[in-house]
Amino acid sequence: MTPPNMIPTLDPNPLPAPYWVFKLLLIATFFLHIVAMNFVLGGGVLALVSKWRSRNRESANRMFLDVARKLPVLLPATITLGIAPLLFVQVLYGQFFYTSSIVMAWPWFLVLVFLTIAYYGFYYVSYRGGRPSARDGGVMLFSVILVFLIGFLFSNNLTLSQTPSRWAGKYFASLDGWNLNLTEATLIPRFLHFFVAAVAVGGLLLVFLALANWKRDHEYARQVLQFGGKAFMYATMAQFVVGIIFLVSLPRDLRMLFMGDSLLATILLLIGVTGGIGAIFLMSDALRKESVRVAGFYVPGILAVVIASMSLMRDILRDAYLKPYFHPGQFAVETQWSVFPLFLVLFLGGVILWFVMLKRYGLLGSK
Amino acid sequence: MNYPVWEVAFGAGLLIAAVAILHVFVSHFAVGGGLFLVVTERRARRNNDLALLGWLKAHTKFFVLVTVVFGAISGVGIWFTIGLIGPTATSNLIHAYVWGWAIEWVFFFVEITAALLYLYGWDKLEARIHEWFGWIYFIAAFASMMIINGIITFMLTSGSWVKTHQFWQGFFNPTYFPSLAFRFAIALALAGIYALITASVQKDAALKVRLVRWSAWWIVPALALLPALGWWYIRWIPADVWASARGPMPTATHYALFAVILLAVTFALALLTLVRPGRMRLAFSLLVALVALGAMGSFEFVREAIRKPYVIAKYLYANSLYAAKIPGDGGFSGDEVNATGILRAAKWISNRDLSKGNQAAVGREIFRVECESCHTIGAYRGVKRYLALRQWDENKMQTMLGVLDFMHHGVMPPFAGTDAERGALAVYLSTVQPVVAAAAAAASDGQTVFDQNCSMCHWVKAGEPLFKDLPRDPNAATKALGDLTSLFPLMPDLKLPEPQRIALVQWINEQRSAKGFGKAAQGGNGK
Repeated sequence: MTPPNMIPTLDPNPLPAPYWVFKLLLIATFFLHIVAMNFVLGGGVLALVSKWRSRNRESANRMFLDVARKLPVLLPATITLGIAPLLFVQVLYGQFFYTSSIVMAWPWFLVLVFLTIAYYGFYYVSYRGGRPSARDGGVMLFSVILVFLIGFLFSNNLTLSQTPSRWAGKYFASLDGWNLNLTEATLIPRFLHFFVAAVAVGGLLLVFLALANWKRDHEYARQVLQFGGKAFMYATMAQFVVGIIFLVSLPRDLRMLFMGDSLLATILLLIGVTGGIGAIFLMSDALRKESVRVAGFYVPGILAVVIASMSLMRDILRDAYLKPYFHPGQFAVETQWSVFPLFLVLFLGGVILWFVMLKRYGLLGSK
Repeated sequence: MNYPVWEVAFGAGLLIAAVAILHVFVSHFAVGGGLFLVVTERRARRNNDLALLGWLKAHTKFFVLVTVVFGAISGVGIWFTIGLIGPTATSNLIHAYVWGWAIEWVFFFVEITAALLYLYGWDKLEARIHEWFGWIYFIAAFASMMIINGIITFMLTSGSWVKTHQFWQGFFNPTYFPSLAFRFAIALALAGIYALITASVQKDAALKVRLVRWSAWWIVPALALLPALGWWYIRWIPADVWASARGPMPTATHYALFAVILLAVTFALALLTLVRPGRMRLAFSLLVALVALGAMGSFEFVREAIRKPYVIAKYLYANSLYAAKIPGDGGFSGDEVNATGILRAAKWISNRDLSKGNQAAVGREIFRVECESCHTIGAYRGVKRYLALRQWDENKMQTMLGVLDFMHHGVMPPFAGTDAERGALAVYLSTVQPVVAAAAAAASDGQTVFDQNCSMCHWVKAGEPLFKDLPRDPNAATKALGDLTSLFPLMPDLKLPEPQRIALVQWINEQRSAKGFGKAAQGGNGK
């Protein structure tokens, strides 16, 4: 029972567009999803920290509520932006993704349960009307823990999907799918890598909040900027430790891809590292000078490049893991010309309409 | 066989059904309720009806909490669940229809954004722009229904896609338009049914009366239209597929009946709200919703059930084997598995060799990979129950497993695998429900003999070959039943003992004379 024989064969339908189209869509939509997810998880964590670090101080409670009111919008954004990569990962990696999902079926199914409860928890807090109460914090904490666990389950499934040699042992040990991938050495470092990144990006959510309040309520905005900016800096600093642990935990041949074996992977890592360091210094400077402009535009700009390069690295790592079992050339391709262009047109139209909606609502610049 | 099978103790099919039915009950509301919001807002603004506007604002919040939260998550939930339970079908659908889903995703994105801006815009936007968001929402929601409807109906009536594999030929399949109209009518009715819920907690009695009446305008005409639309829908379902819901397949038949009854009850309850609209309670509105959920769930059950033995009509069986050998099927068509054997073909089994000692263990695994997509042992569609009725011993079990695809109007795929593997499955099933020796041997009355041996394929009705073609002469008939395969080559070679045959013939002749069956009988014609 050698692992390659266990890999499910593809279904008979060809890819309805070239491989790279799906790859591009997968990585691009994953990027958007992960940013939104970071806002939810990181924002939620920082809202809680702010509430409990400085008990009942008015601005801290206000910060908590300001973030809490964003979450019922940011969570559906995360879900909606998550559907697309979920779709495209099935197009390219279904053989691996379905199988690992089945091996850990019940925990994977629990994602839905956790998500529903967390979502209603966020709504509960945001509709409470703003009176400070311990229960809000409790509900928020519960929801954030659930989102945290969802992330952990995703890390389990995606690491498992990349290591087919583990499948059979786990599957036959529990046919009803009560498995996780806890023996995977990279699991915890990988998950922490994502979690710490979420806290950093959550810090930027607060920076944006400061930006929105800068003229209206300067004193409050200053506090929010300091808190969010520092959270971003500390989390990004911690990321250097976590990131190195993650890198070290990778099997040697995969690790070496990012350390010289692959030029592209190495450059991407360098972009990530220098971008991270640059963002810390820039943020530190912005906080000293109280420049919300630098903190709210330049730092996120750099970070977008860092997250994009990390998304690409993640993809390179997946393909490296799957190299013995997966080759892009395995797909037959028959582009569905009768519908693919329609998607592109509607996608473009959808994006334009989306911006028009935001503009008419008054969310983009002056109305 | 290609993918591992997830063993869900209470039944994988039931899990899909639970997720899917809750989802459709909300997602149809998401479509109809969207139209309800904008139309009601227009009406309220035209009449400068501030009370109605105030209620509508609260109702929007309810709408978003139900549709955007639960609707969206349960929609993703269907993805998760079908991937876990039917990965082969999901993979096929993904590769054939990913652009459809990608388009639906675009609409969904617009839909969610518009819903949230409509909600948060109540206090912020001027009326005209607020309504504009409402219309964008509804159009996007309807468009996403147009897309998913194409894929769902494709699974039931795959049309010429099976030959051509052309996207649009599968998409605009025979049941596309009837299903779209049917579902839209449901969506409109649900808009009113959900509105009753928020109307019921309304304190202002005069407003409550108006709200209940306004809701009824959405529910009553839409439900009244459903039978006609349903008839249109059924007309485009191939007759032999629909026939499953007319008796031969218990699940489909029962749920078709439930759907009709519960629909009628929903209709009656909706009319009842009009008797004393000002007094309608929350509990009553929830009852209406619950009955409607039952009706809708039953309809979806029927649709899923009559599709059997397929998950994608004429293409892929429910147990993930392809209906015919096609290039690229990986050896997972019935015919190929018959030749290679399950123990060689299946990727996800632990027993690779079959011997006298491990037959039951191998049979258990075969049950998992070939049967568990629909059956459990003792829970949902549990085989133990069926076997208790049949009382088949090992040999008869093995014979019967060879004609699965003839049973119950062909709702099951044929057994795929070698004879020895079929034997192993028979051994396993015999351990699940051992024969009660007395019951089997003493099956001397004709009715029991019929129930145990014939009823899975033959029906007690006029025109049935059993009544029509079997010789009337008891001796000739008893003799003929001794060699079933020469009566009809595809019959199982059961070799019933003579006393049972005599009893059976006697019972058949009683049915003939009592119920007038077999009027067309011209004596045996060898069929």
